[in-house]
Amino acid sequence: MVHHHHYHEYMQQKMRRNTSNQQQQNKRHKFFINDNIDILREILKRLDGPSLGVASCVCRLWCNLTNNDDSIWEHLCFRHVLTPPPATVRPVVVALGGYKRLYMVCVRPVLSRLSESERVMKRVWTRHEVQLSLSLFCIDSYERLAGGGGMIASDASPSSLMFLCNPINV
Amino acid sequence: MEIEIDSVSSPSKVKEIDGLLADVGYKVKSSELHQVAQNIERLENVIVNSSSSDISQFASDTIHYDPSDIGNWVDNLLSEFDHTNSLPYDFSQLSDLAQDQHHHHHHHHHQNHQLKVVTTVEEDSAIKLIHMLMTCADSLQRGNIQLAGSLIEGMQGLLTNMNTNSGIGKVAGYFIDALNRRIFGQNNIIHIENDVLYHHYYEACPYLKFAHFTANQAILEAFNGHDCVHVIDFNLMHGLQWPALIQALALRPGGPPFLRLTGIGPPSHDDRDNLREIGLRLAELARSVNVRFAFRGVAAWRLEDVKPWMLQVSSKEAVAVNSIMQLHRLLGSEPDPNNPSAIETVLGWIRSLNPKIMTVVEQEANHNEDGFMDRFTEALHYYSTVFDSLEACPVEPDKAMAEIYLQREICNVVCCEGPARVERHEPLIKWRERLGKTGFRPLHLGSNAFKQASMLLTLFSAEGYCVEENQGSLTLGWHSRPLIAASAWQAVPETLRFDH
Repeated sequence: MVHHHHYHEYMQQKMRRNTSNQQQQNKRHKFFINDNIDILREILKRLDGPSLGVASCVCRLWCNLTNNDDSIWEHLCFRHVLTPPPATVRPVVVALGGYKRLYMVCVRPVLSRLSESERVMKRVWTRHEVQLSLSLFCIDSYERLAGGGGMIASDASPSSLMFLCNPINV
Repeated sequence: MEIEIDSVSSPSKVKEIDGLLADVGYKVKSSELHQVAQNIERLENVIVNSSSSDISQFASDTIHYDPSDIGNWVDNLLSEFDHTNSLPYDFSQLSDLAQDQHHHHHHHHHQNHQLKVVTTVEEDSAIKLIHMLMTCADSLQRGNIQLAGSLIEGMQGLLTNMNTNSGIGKVAGYFIDALNRRIFGQNNIIHIENDVLYHHYYEACPYLKFAHFTANQAILEAFNGHDCVHVIDFNLMHGLQWPALIQALALRPGGPPFLRLTGIGPPSHDDRDNLREIGLRLAELARSVNVRFAFRGVAAWRLEDVKPWMLQVSSKEAVAVNSIMQLHRLLGSEPDPNNPSAIETVLGWIRSLNPKIMTVVEQEANHNEDGFMDRFTEALHYYSTVFDSLEACPVEPDKAMAEIYLQREICNVVCCEGPARVERHEPLIKWRERLGKTGFRPLHLGSNAFKQASMLLTLFSAEGYCVEENQGSLTLGWHSRPLIAASAWQAVPETLRFDH
């Protein structure tokens, strides 16, 4: 019994010493990424899609940033475009549902489908591909408008673009 | 081989002949000889009429039976030939053929080659089915309703043994149903709104998407530099074509024009105003992307009922007329020497609007021949190809609904005549001739449209679709058979027209 008590006290003292060591360590390292959100944002802007998905699972702050900061997704959408899209594009995309939705619903499936057929992983987007993605995105947005009217059967995912998401084996 | 058969009546004579046959080695009764002789004649006919390839295949594949049992031996040979040969045009046996399949399964003599029968049954059933379809259509054209009716029963029987979930079984089922309706009238009509079916057809395959995107590209290019533009849509449906154009106009360099859209469609039967609802939805989309937009709905059951004043076209605006699979519906009016036909009237007032562009998308098929047999054959080929391409679609219920949409077209082509037949598809070459004669000249669709169409197909990922360029127009097809053609036109100014 006496041994247990001594052992307990010994462990508690050791843990107290460790935490105080850690605090000293924290004081020594001045930089903590969560304290520097603008740097964090710059880093997240340069990640690819899957990495962004992983990043959003790290902690609540990272999750908030990736979900709510559309500029991160804007960079992702047009990363591979040769010339940056004109300024008029942003209000249109925002009005139609935002860059995150554009990426998830159009850009990601289009990119993966095109790279499947061409067997090239990293490629430059042409103006045509950007335009086609935007058109498909607009149709998606319109169909979601229709959901409230009840004229078209509203699915959880936009049915017009389901052909992009389903791998078709012929 | 000749067998002389005397009509032998006395039992002692019969016994004698039976004994003689047995002595020579044949296991056959004299009473059966008559039937055997007939079968041998049939076999002779079949061998003479079949190709040499059939015979050589037969010679290598056949399991040889004991020829001393001559009756069964001839029967087996005959049944072998019936499987590998083309259909003998002896109609009294047609319904037997379908039932023969069952007999052969039970007859123990046939167990040995049952495997061979089963593997080729499907192909041969398909060949038989097509033959029967053609024969049925032919007999309908000749007015032999009774024969047509019995053929339909035979085909329905044949179908019960076939796979009707895909391939020829499925398409044939629709055509048999259509022929049935033509003879016996309408029954069990599926009550689904046409625009709902249209939407599912839009989702299930790329034909309508191709039509919309190609027409939009041509309209966008034609509207270049204009600040007031007016699009007239001959069949609004759910307005799925227009969001992409609105977005493209929103992003065009120099800013969007003022866009007016006039949508033509059938009147709504309940209290709702379907055209107006679609218009409101499009207006909301246009507003969200800052495109000034105005919508007008024109309700009409038929395109020929629309008068140009209803469209309220102003001279200051650039007009685009958009017809997705609508012009062919005008070809059914009765020819009247005193009045211009429906197609001439409509094309006439389109010209009077002086449009910057008229986009025409039509099925690439010849379903407007007068002869029923020609029309039927064409339709069978065309819709077989379309259904083939639908197999690539994995999305339900889109695929099932798309099939119902196509079934309605098939029924109209096969069952209806006169003004009721509206699906009067004509190929691009005929439309070129017709539009050229009525004062339109073709506009080339350009490389942007082609690139866009190709990209759309790559996204669709099913490997059988192909886009082709055809003298400035684009066609989308399945495995080198074009199925839908998109073209663009402009009215030739009056002063330049020379009437011969």
